[in-house]
Amino acid sequence: MDSAADGVVIADFEAGLGTVIRMGDEPVDVVVLVTEPTVKSLEVARRAADLVHRQQLGRLVVTANRLRDDEDLSRVRAAFPGIEVVIIPDEPAIVAAERRGVAPFDAAPDSPGVRALVALADSLGPACSGRG
Amino acid sequence: MRVAFVGKGGAGKSSIAGVFARMLARQGARVLALDSDPMPGLAYSLGVPSQDAGIPADAVEEYEDDDGRRRYRLRSGLDPSAAIERYSTVSPDGVRFLQLGKARGVKGENSLSHQAYQLIVDSLSSDDWSVVGDLPGGTRQAFFGWGRFAQTVLVVAEPTPASVLTARRLARLALHSSAPRVLAVANKTRGEADVRYVERGTGLPVAGSVPYDETQRDADRRGVALLDLDADTPLVAAVASLVSSLSAEEALR
Repeated sequence: MDSAADGVVIADFEAGLGTVIRMGDEPVDVVVLVTEPTVKSLEVARRAADLVHRQQLGRLVVTANRLRDDEDLSRVRAAFPGIEVVIIPDEPAIVAAERRGVAPFDAAPDSPGVRALVALADSLGPACSGRG
Repeated sequence: MRVAFVGKGGAGKSSIAGVFARMLARQGARVLALDSDPMPGLAYSLGVPSQDAGIPADAVEEYEDDDGRRRYRLRSGLDPSAAIERYSTVSPDGVRFLQLGKARGVKGENSLSHQAYQLIVDSLSSDDWSVVGDLPGGTRQAFFGWGRFAQTVLVVAEPTPASVLTARRLARLALHSSAPRVLAVANKTRGEADVRYVERGTGLPVAGSVPYDETQRDADRRGVALLDLDADTPLVAAVASLVSSLSAEEALR
C-alpha cells in the first residue's frame, strides 16, 4: 500500500526483537509496544523501545496489559518515563474470551481494556491518515 | 534425561522449565539448563542474574576437514565439560545455566558464539548430564538446531485455541525431527476439562497438568524464581510430579 487512501495496515508482529530489527529503515506511523508488568516482559519491552528510538521507526505507544493495581502501573511507568501508556486491566472477561477463542472486541466490548484500545485506535486515526 | 520445552510465546515454558530443572537437580541429577531464546527468560525462572553475554567467539576455532571444507570445533584444550564449567552460571540447587546470548539490537557478528553453543550441546554425553532446554516461543527454532539434543520434547500449551493450535503445529514438526517422543504439558489449567481440551487439541499424550497459579504471577512481577518465593504452590507440586514420572519412565528404559 502506498498511501493512507488505500487503508490502514495493522501488523501483529512476533514476540521479541526479530521483526523490529528486520524493519530496518522502513518507518511506520506508530509502534504499539505491548508489555506486561513483569520484570521479564518489561526488560524485553525496554529493549524493543530502544530499538524503535534508535532506528527512528515511528511514534511509540506503550500498551500495558494485564494490570492488576497501581503498583503494576507504577512498574510500567517507571520503565517508560515520559512515554504514553495505554492501560489494559487484568480482566476475567478477556481471559474467558481468550479461552473460548473469541475476540475480546466481540465478547467484552464494554470492558475497560477494550474501551482503552478503542480510544487508542480513535486517537491514532489522524496520525495514520497523515501519511501518504 | 534430556528434555526441551517448546510452545507458543507466553504459554509458560520458561516458568515450568526453571522449576523442572531445579526439581530434577534436587533429585540428585547433574542438570544443565539451556536457554537458546535471544530474549531474557529462563534466568529469572532459575533464580540467576539475567545477563546478555553468551559464549565468547574464541571458544571455537576454525579448521579444514579432509575435503577442504571450513569447519569449527571447540578450541584446543576445551572439551564440552570444561566449556560448561567455564561459560555457565551456577543457579540455586546446583543447576548449570548456559545461554546462547541475549539480543539488544541489530545483530552483531555472533555466529562463532552460536557455533560454540551448538558444539557444546551436540557433544554432551547423556551419562554426564541431564539437560533441560527452554526454546523460544513459536515454531521457528523448535526442531531445528537448538532443539536437537532432546530425547523428549514437552509442548507446553494453555487451554486456549491459539495455544493449542501452535502446539499442534509443533507436534507435527516433531514427527520430522530426531526427537523420539513428543508429549504435551497442559499449563494454567483450571480443571480436568482443560486437560482434556489440551489433549484433544494437540493430539498429544498429556504428560502433566500444571494448574493456574497466582503465585507464579507474583514471582514474574518481582522477577524472582517461584521456588525462591514460595516452594509450596500447586505449580511446584505439579512440576515435581512431572519430573518424578519422567524420571521413573527413564529408569525403566
